[in-house]
Parts: sequence; C-alpha cells; structure tokens
Amino acid sequence: MLAVQEYFGLAAKAIRFIVARPFYIGDVIQQMDAIGVESLGIVLLTGFFTGMVLALQTSVQMAQFGATMYIGRLVTASMVRELGPVLAAILVAGRVGSGIAAQIGSMRVTEQIDALNTLGVDPIKKLVTPRLVAALVMMPVLTILSDTVGIGGGNVIATAYVGIPVGLYWRTVWEQIASGGFILHYIPSDFVQGLVKPFVFGGIIAITGCFFGINTKGGTEGVGNATTRTVVVASVLILVVDYFLTQVLLFLFG
Amino acid sequence: MTDTPADDKGAPAPSTYGEERRRAPEPEGEPRLRRAEDELRARFAEELQEGEETQDRVAASREAIVELEHVSLAFDRPILEDVSLVVRRGETVVIAGESGTGKSTTLKLILRLLRPDTGRVIVDGEVINDVTYEEALIIRQKMGMVFQGAALFDSMSVFENVAFPLREHTELTDDEIEARVREKLEFVDLEPDRVMDQLPAELSGGMKKRVGIARGMAVNPAIMLYDEPTSGLDPLTTGTITRLIMKLQRELKVTSVVVSHDIRSAFRMATKIALLADRHIVFFGSPEDMTASQDRYVQDFLGGV
Repeated sequence: MLAVQEYFGLAAKAIRFIVARPFYIGDVIQQMDAIGVESLGIVLLTGFFTGMVLALQTSVQMAQFGATMYIGRLVTASMVRELGPVLAAILVAGRVGSGIAAQIGSMRVTEQIDALNTLGVDPIKKLVTPRLVAALVMMPVLTILSDTVGIGGGNVIATAYVGIPVGLYWRTVWEQIASGGFILHYIPSDFVQGLVKPFVFGGIIAITGCFFGINTKGGTEGVGNATTRTVVVASVLILVVDYFLTQVLLFLFG
Repeated sequence: MTDTPADDKGAPAPSTYGEERRRAPEPEGEPRLRRAEDELRARFAEELQEGEETQDRVAASREAIVELEHVSLAFDRPILEDVSLVVRRGETVVIAGESGTGKSTTLKLILRLLRPDTGRVIVDGEVINDVTYEEALIIRQKMGMVFQGAALFDSMSVFENVAFPLREHTELTDDEIEARVREKLEFVDLEPDRVMDQLPAELSGGMKKRVGIARGMAVNPAIMLYDEPTSGLDPLTTGTITRLIMKLQRELKVTSVVVSHDIRSAFRMATKIALLADRHIVFFGSPEDMTASQDRYVQDFLGGV
C-alpha cells in the first residue's frame, strides 16, 4: 500500500518538474534517442508481422462469409485501436523499462543517486522527468509507425494470398478510419483513441522503471530484481489499464 | 553541547610526549598499561608529528561549523544514541570506529540525507533537522562529499563530472567552467588533458577517488565530507589521498569531516578524532589525547591496528 502511494508520489513529482526550471533538454533528447529511435527496429518488425497475421486469420474467417474484402477494415480497427498501442508498449516495457530500471538501479547501488542529492540536485528532476517526457513523446510516435507498418503488412497478405487489389484494400482502410467519426471535423476519433493509449502507456513504462530503479536495494542482485519487477509490473499495468481505458474511450467516442 | 579538553589547546602541543605524560595523573601500579601507551606513542610518532603541524596552522579559528547535539537515530535497530560532536571551522575531524557502528550514518545526518529521531544537527549556524527537501538541496551546496566508491556519474566524462555542480549552481560561462575544472583536476594531481575526456570506468580506483574529490570541491564548499577515503586502496595510494586531504585543509582552509577506520591516516590528518563504538562516541579529542587515553576500548582499538 505504501509502495502504491510512493509510486504515485513519484509520478506526481516527475510530472510537476516537467514545467519547472532548469530543463534538462540534453537529457530529454538523449532519452528520446534511447527510448524511441533505438526501439524503432523491434517495434516496426513486430508491427509488420502482427498486421500480416491479422490479415491471414481474418481472411480465413471472412472467407466463410465471402467477406474477404473487409480484411482492410478489420486489420485497421485491430491495429489502430488495440494491438498497435498494446504490443508496442509491451515491447518497449521489456526493452526500455528494464533498461531504465537497470541504469537507475545501478546508480542507486553505486551511490550516484546520493551523489546527485549531495550535489544539490533532485534526482527525480534530473533522472525521472527526462525519461518520462521522452516516453510520453516517443510512445505515440512509435505506435503510429507500428500501426502504419502493420496495416501495410496486412496489405501484403491481402493482395498476395487473397487477391484483393491494393487500391480496394486502402479504400477499406480509410472507410474504417472514417467510420468512427471525426473530432473537430478533421481528426478521426480512432486516431485519438489510438494515441491516448500509448501516451498513458509511455508514462507507465517510464515511471515503473524509475520507481523500481530508485528503490533498488542490495547490490547487483537488487538491480536484477528491479529490472524483472519493472517488466512484470509494467506489462500487467499496461494490459489492465488498457481495458479500463478502452471502456472510458468507448464511452466517450463510441 | 560537548566541549572536550582538546578545545582548550590553543598553545602548541608539547614537543616531547614525556612532558605531557608527567602532567597526566596516572593510576599507581599499572606499569603494564604505561608500557602499552609508550609503545603506541612510538608507533604513531611520525603520524602525530605530522598532525601537529596541521593543527598549528588551523589553530586560529574556533567557530563551530558542524554540530551534532544529542543525536539519536534508529531504523530497525538503534544506530546512534545521544551522539554529540562539534566541528570547528578549519578543523579536520576523523570519525573512526569499527564497521557498522554508524560512521557513514553520521555523514548522512550532516548532509540531511537522513533525519535524526531526536537531537539537533546544525550546519553553519542553521538547524537542519526540519528543513524541507528543497532547502536541504541548497544547504548541501555548502558541503562537498567524497563517496566511498567515488560515485562518479558513469555516463559522463571526467570533465562533465567535475563540471556538473558548476553547471547546476553557478552562472559561469563554458570557458570559466573549463578553467575551473582544469584547476581542480590539477589540484588533485591529475593531468587535465589526459583524463578529462575519459569515462570513469577507464580510471583506476585512486584516480576515481581524486576525481571524486575534484568534483566535491568544484564549487569551493566550506566543508568537505569524506566517506572512507582510503578504503580499498593500496598503501601508496592511501598515502597520496591522505596527503591530498591535508593539502586541501592547509591550502584552502576547508573544514573536513572524514569517516575512516584507517587509524594510521586518521592520526596524520586529524585535528580531533571521534571514536564511535556501540552507538555512542566513546572518545572525542586530539590524537595525542587518544594515545594517552586509559580507556580500555580506545587502547584495544589502537592496538588492533
């Protein structure tokens, strides 16, 4: 219970520091590189295969009803609303969340966090806030790219296996995007739903990694525990929060 | 507040230890103890003499800069009980004691990384018990801390490590920062051009300690705190680091609090030694008083070196 309170305390403090001087712009950019650019390969690869397998499965199911032309719609709905954000987030939790915990955890056990404190610098401001900002910005970006590549992967299967023309596939993709309605006339509501999620997941990943990193105890073994816990807790949180977030978003946007 | 006999010692220390011993009242019929004392003096003669020289230079100033007043602290078990300690401006106080007696805890209390359960901690005239976290960050800028494992930021170069406090807390330009970093690295006997671009992982233990000292003194703090500055170093490097701490005290007149179980280097640099045992300070006074002490534990501690 105390840990939950500390977790939210850390999150609140890190968020508050986003708008407080000094800004560690250099650290933010460095973290964006570590969280975003370096995760790009793995996120794109999995996004592509997820799109392909979605197309493959739906083509089999749809064939029973002779509705294979709707493959594009289904792949798009699944990727944009659900699989894109969740899969990217789980991958980033494994790749980046563990890295954050390991790095901050080793800084804790080698007294570098104490050193920051004694040098008159708040470790939350210097370490947690830049990672939080970077994750909040980069997760949506990664998700958009993952969605795009996934829908492209679906196109490959739809055209190669099922024989749906490329033009038709993309028209059904657009139909799906437009079907949810638009917010402020231009922004498809599917996109909004698909981008609120990675934003929230990015926050979960950064805060969870930092939380277990900062609370590391007991030398190198402690660092190992911190990374494991980060991946487990962040992944579970992502899936649980995803459900409730979906409920709220469906209520708001339909 | 505890004042110790050592505080009255404005005058130069006696040149021979024999004189002092004659003045000291001694219990009759304990020749064995007296022999042990002579042995100890002989053994630490060199260190004591070097210590005297340093003491003379700093004897002028007497204002208290760090004080612990009846401080107690417990986590799962009691760590410190009713500990009082006064460090005066320009002094070097060594906190000695066996492992696990709360020596490092004392430093953390002075830095306000920990809060005492009872008692007061006073730094530069300010009671720091109840200051907020943000206020504590500002108070800590008066102090430079050297960690046991140096605690250099391993993602930054040596230059960035030493420049870090300057970038955080001063308005110095890049050129001024570089000049200051070079000056500090030269002070700790490192060649700036050779080490500045290296990462901490590429340095030896002794070099890391020196960079740690350079970083601690970068903003010219009035107080330097050292956590086991010589532990894990070979005898030669231990000597170098000890001399470095003495140089800092001599040339920059900084007040130093050193936590160490290395009694040999403690004798060389200390104005006063505080011996922690079993949660209490069992001895607090000058190195001479320490060798003269009849206390069984003090004798055992010195004998165990």
